[in-house]
Amino acid sequence: MIYEIANLRISIKNRCKYTEIFCEKYLSNDQAAPFDLEVSVTDEEFYEEKKISEGYSDGYIENICLYRAICRCLPKLNRMLLHAAVLEYEGNAYAFLGRSGTGKSTHTGLWLKHLNGSKIVNGDKPILEYKESGFVAYGTPWMGKEGLGYNGSAPLKGLCFLEQAKENSVLKLTPAQAASRIFVQILMPEDEANAALTLELTDKLVTEIPCYLLKCNVSEEAVQKSFEALTGKTYKK
Amino acid sequence: MKIKNGFVVREVGGESVVVPVGEMSKNFHGMINLNETGAFLWRFFSEDHSIDEGVAALLEEYDVDEAIARTDVEKFAETIEKNGFAE
Repeated sequence: MIYEIANLRISIKNRCKYTEIFCEKYLSNDQAAPFDLEVSVTDEEFYEEKKISEGYSDGYIENICLYRAICRCLPKLNRMLLHAAVLEYEGNAYAFLGRSGTGKSTHTGLWLKHLNGSKIVNGDKPILEYKESGFVAYGTPWMGKEGLGYNGSAPLKGLCFLEQAKENSVLKLTPAQAASRIFVQILMPEDEANAALTLELTDKLVTEIPCYLLKCNVSEEAVQKSFEALTGKTYKK
Repeated sequence: MKIKNGFVVREVGGESVVVPVGEMSKNFHGMINLNETGAFLWRFFSEDHSIDEGVAALLEEYDVDEAIARTDVEKFAETIEKNGFAE
């Protein structure tokens, strides 16, 4: 079946029903028109993943492999996967990044609570597209265990790396500082062309998008800090 | 010494980064950050050159003592060899 994800027509050749249900909100109304990309999972890849993800259903395992297959091809299409939670507020997107357990969902949850109209585009694995006008963040069916997100997009205006701390503080990062933190949050394709393009896209990302480090606790003040840095606006309680 | 094929070098955020690709990515996971001298030497040793040639190239490019240049090249070569990146 053909799905429309990140403004691409993607033909997904799945064997298990799981992925059809998983991606149903992204199903294309036009199954006849050509597609940009076609993916399937090889037996080798499937059984490799099955070894790592013991106890999960075949459908789930195939589904993970399919997204990885899609993401490996994205750089040639000016797009890349970013492991982050992306929020939309007043038409702009902001990405929150951190290693597992640093509180991405806690902090974005505080935005939802305190900032009326903010919503999660994708809570875990959004796709970014690089256009002449800048980066655009897209929701995808793959949005983490909380399943937060929707089929939409917004221009990306800021990146915010998160670290837990007692006191709240926010620091603007240089492109080099942001680069050293972002590599663990991207998927590096194994083929030369897509790997090179991934590095080039990452370079554009850290140089063109303002990047911040938010050291934060769980409080409204933490939201104020990231909000003011990312939007340039004054936070009103 | 010659560095094996199978690496991509790019500047990201102003810093040089090396990523293994193809067969190389199966043996080596992760990426290598290079400083300015490291990036220069990586490019230079992507073709087969002797340590002495590396020292001479470094002296031509940068205003440094020969002793420092030699130490830099030797350390670089050692790291390359140790990680199995040399042919």
